[in-house]
Amino acid sequence: MKRRTRCRVRDFFESPGPRDVITLQGVWVRLDGSVVLQDITFSVREGSFLGVIGPNGAGKSTLLRVILGLVRPDRGKVRVLGMDPRRLRGELHHVGYMPQQINFDTFFPVSVYDVVMMGRVCCIGPMRFPGKEDRKAVLESIELVGLKGLEKRPIGELSGGQQKRAFLARALCLETRVLLLDEPTAGLDLDAQESLLRLIARLKEERGLTVVLVSHDLGVLARYADELVCIRKTMHLHGSPLEVLGSEKIKEVYQCEFAFLAHLRGDCGSPR
Amino acid sequence: MLSYSFMVRALVAGSILALVCGPISFFVVTKKLSFAGMGISHAAFGGVAVGLALGVEPTIAAVIFCCLVALGIWATSRKGRLNEDAVIGMLFVTAMAMGLVVVRFARLYNVDLMAYLFGSILAIEGSDLLIIFVLGTLSLLYIVLFFKELLFIAFDEETARASGVAVDPIYAGFLLVLSLVIVISIKLVGIILVSALLVFPCAVGLQWSRNFRGVVAVSQIIGVLSVGAGLYFSYRWDVPSGASIVMVLFALLLLSLLIAPRRKSAVDLLRGKEGRAGGCGGR
Repeated sequence: MKRRTRCRVRDFFESPGPRDVITLQGVWVRLDGSVVLQDITFSVREGSFLGVIGPNGAGKSTLLRVILGLVRPDRGKVRVLGMDPRRLRGELHHVGYMPQQINFDTFFPVSVYDVVMMGRVCCIGPMRFPGKEDRKAVLESIELVGLKGLEKRPIGELSGGQQKRAFLARALCLETRVLLLDEPTAGLDLDAQESLLRLIARLKEERGLTVVLVSHDLGVLARYADELVCIRKTMHLHGSPLEVLGSEKIKEVYQCEFAFLAHLRGDCGSPR
Repeated sequence: MLSYSFMVRALVAGSILALVCGPISFFVVTKKLSFAGMGISHAAFGGVAVGLALGVEPTIAAVIFCCLVALGIWATSRKGRLNEDAVIGMLFVTAMAMGLVVVRFARLYNVDLMAYLFGSILAIEGSDLLIIFVLGTLSLLYIVLFFKELLFIAFDEETARASGVAVDPIYAGFLLVLSLVIVISIKLVGIILVSALLVFPCAVGLQWSRNFRGVVAVSQIIGVLSVGAGLYFSYRWDVPSGASIVMVLFALLLLSLLIAPRRKSAVDLLRGKEGRAGGCGGR
């Protein structure tokens, strides 16, 4: 990995803390002519867990794609590790991403090991082949998410929860400092949701990761996030889970789910 | 039959093509590009006709036509209001129609168009063999060097992009390699039938293996077997070589469907059944 680290991101890591890993300032995004994100401003402290909530279609995934440099904002400034994410190409081994859903064919002939190795592609570099170091990192990452022994299983044969863990391993098999997760618990049963979130929270603590997790499900985030941002096109709320969920404004954003929210408010003080 | 040098040339050329088409067919099937393959290959007809009419080497003209169609497909798949499918459907009929118009006005009736359309074992000359060897090796080299990127793109394009893989140029490069391989296969298999070499080998490979390494290896073996047997039948019964190769490929697919261990799942992949890793759509 040393072969890829450039000075600019190193400057960021050498700067005195506490540092903001992700900063958005007045970000506007228009897709196909309609405004999807409007004047979004927030920053994420290193080592913290930010939950991005909002109803379906609120622009949450677009927000992640902006942070990843996949969508260019029409207005505003985005900084990830002190750089414009679209110029972060050589430094992407610090950023792990787990997309919302991967529409792969169940019978796509790759094993868990092969899928996790895909995460190493950017640091192996074009026209090169995986080396010993890469193989070791992949196996470690697989062990970290608790899939040891399943390395050779075709990805399509795993359960939904196991597949998510494999994709998490793929996002972690680099020198990951920032983990971006888009609806990681969607489609999982409650047990699998809990265990995946506990795993993410544990990894965050152990490795000092900065986590940004997008979900439409408040219950998921209330207990794990340090801070919540609630968006629906524009930013409605930003604060601790207690502040955000305790706010009267959240029922405007979510409209009909008030009873459920009231139930959660009692819940979000519970231990992590 | 090996005492005829044309037969030896055809066999060597066919084997090289089969080895190159193995990994290419893997990506054509997994990235669902079989229609693109058909579109690019049919466009070669326009190129061949224009080349013959202008007195340019038909292979070179076909390469130009195929690459243009491939780039057209690539450009619309990146951004555009039309989907790839519709664009392919329009581009290749236009190229074929252009070919027919040129054939009519240039009065190319004395050229054996059947050989271009369905392949001929007599068509491979020494110079063709050299071209097939050089371009085939270059194509294979491209696939080997960018295999991990292509696999990532075929599996999960969005994350590949987010991980810094140069998706657009690598995919464009693949489509150009696909065009090259199609053009160098035309003399042996024919414009109409060449797309078979881009689909069948992987389709058969998927019956036998659950890992891409196995699938690619089986694809190559199947390719070599079918080219060898197909050329033999072509020689024996005087049928166009493309037709006999495709019939052998089809027979091998049927056989695999009957006896291979993974038959059901592979059929599902070819049908395009998708497993959702969960989640609901959103922006």
